[in-house]
Amino acid sequence: MSAEIIRVDGLTKHYRGSGDGAPALDGVSFSIEADKIYGLLGRNGAGKTTIMSILTAQGFATAGSVRVFGQNPYENERVLNRICFIRESQKYPDDFNANHAFKAAALFFDNWDQSLAMRLAKDFQLPLKRRIKKLSRGQLSAVGVVIGLASRAELTFFDEPYLGLDAVARQLFYDRLVEDYTEYPRTIVLSSHLIDEVANLLEHVIVIDQGRIIMDDDAESLRGSAVAVAGQAARVEVFTAGRTVIHREGFGALASVTIDGVLSAGERAEAAELGLELAPVSLQQLVVRRTIKGAVDDGSADGAARQGTKQGDTARMEATR
Amino acid sequence: MSWAVDNRAVKVARMQLINKWTFLGIPAIILTGSFLLSLAVFAVIPVPDAPKYSGAGQAVMWYFFALGIQSLTLTFPFSQGMSVSRRSFFLGTVGLFAVVALVVSGLYVLLGMAEVATKGWGMNGRMFALQWIADSGVGVQFLFYFALMMLLFILGFWFATVYKRWGATGMLVLWLAVGVLLVGLVALVTWQDWWAPVGTWLAAQGPLGITGWSLLFTALLGGGAYLTLRRATP
Repeated sequence: MSAEIIRVDGLTKHYRGSGDGAPALDGVSFSIEADKIYGLLGRNGAGKTTIMSILTAQGFATAGSVRVFGQNPYENERVLNRICFIRESQKYPDDFNANHAFKAAALFFDNWDQSLAMRLAKDFQLPLKRRIKKLSRGQLSAVGVVIGLASRAELTFFDEPYLGLDAVARQLFYDRLVEDYTEYPRTIVLSSHLIDEVANLLEHVIVIDQGRIIMDDDAESLRGSAVAVAGQAARVEVFTAGRTVIHREGFGALASVTIDGVLSAGERAEAAELGLELAPVSLQQLVVRRTIKGAVDDGSADGAARQGTKQGDTARMEATR
Repeated sequence: MSWAVDNRAVKVARMQLINKWTFLGIPAIILTGSFLLSLAVFAVIPVPDAPKYSGAGQAVMWYFFALGIQSLTLTFPFSQGMSVSRRSFFLGTVGLFAVVALVVSGLYVLLGMAEVATKGWGMNGRMFALQWIADSGVGVQFLFYFALMMLLFILGFWFATVYKRWGATGMLVLWLAVGVLLVGLVALVTWQDWWAPVGTWLAAQGPLGITGWSLLFTALLGGGAYLTLRRATP
């Protein structure tokens, strides 16, 4: 059991000017343990960057509490100097090139590894002497990725770090991340909506949708937590009756139904007898299905309690409406 | 605690100096360039006796106003990415600027002395030793330049902070408020027929008094800028 380094309770954020629209974060609670790679997954605008901003005291919460390394991070250098968070839209001083940015990072991050930074810059073919404001989107992302990795901060956040990077550069990032993490274990929070690409890196997954947490579990247990049953529609219906259906697809007489839960050996044998095919559900499919299901339930039942969320929290949802 | 914090403030100052051009190179070029240009203009004007005034000495000060704005709009968000607290960013940035302002003020005083000694660079030019200020002692001149530069920098810094925190609306409200305040003051003085005493009072302040007041005003603005920055987001 590793030590808890982040504790978030009832975190709520309303952005000014959003009127009486939905809050960016709506009573979010979770915790993060040391020396693991976390995935903070969700659609664009789900609240991922907002959470990371508040955790690093770059942004402010409307309500709720945040503890990082046991303390409030706001204006707290003893917490802040153990954290690195380069935003997806990170700004740099007007006249800085990548070399300048790395020199600055070397000043502030105690564990900064300059040779690693240089190696990564070479991997990403980053022009070190070109002004940052003249770099392409991918090169700009690369500057952030290099700072994030070479800082070796105890708690490192990557905010959609791959924007504009091509497939090769993205793979390089994932490889280097794993390599360096293996050698220097630390806590990494990776926000992403390219779930399939990062699924293998993640040890723990937190999924956020419309400002609420809809999944928070070990990547390992999530991988086996749902199963797709395919075959003759009528038989599929019989087999899946009474189970929590996450998704349903039909192709004429055939159907594929994704259900929650782990099947026992007996149930697997029964499925085989019925001529049904059982397929594991990828993390991405699982997240997509759960997210869509949440949205549909939310829209259909006029404020009826939403189902299928791991947290449940029906009462709180009712209270906030 | 203070050691750790101040140490990071010093690092902020060092960060601002990573690109030497911003705080050192460009001011040096502006200063040299405007100085040489003014000399050229003095040489061209064919009146040897009357003093020729040049406002070129201000050029660097306006650059510092722009620098105050830029430090905040771009360097502040970057410093947040470097996990620097707002307090360290403020102390490091304003501290570094104060040091630069001290150096430039010293330079202005020296240049003013050279100007007097060479009778306006041999051409009766007036750029640094403006009559009103040059009659005061060296100390007052020095303080006056320092106060002026700090005022401009903090002004730019605070306006940028307001913009960062409250956007265009905040900026508009701020300008309106400043306008209303100024018009209100003028109206008050006019209705009360206070112009004569106000004039006398201003004249009585002299360079030292004006310097003192602008330092006080700068300190107030600096405090305001810090409090605004405390809740600003990158």
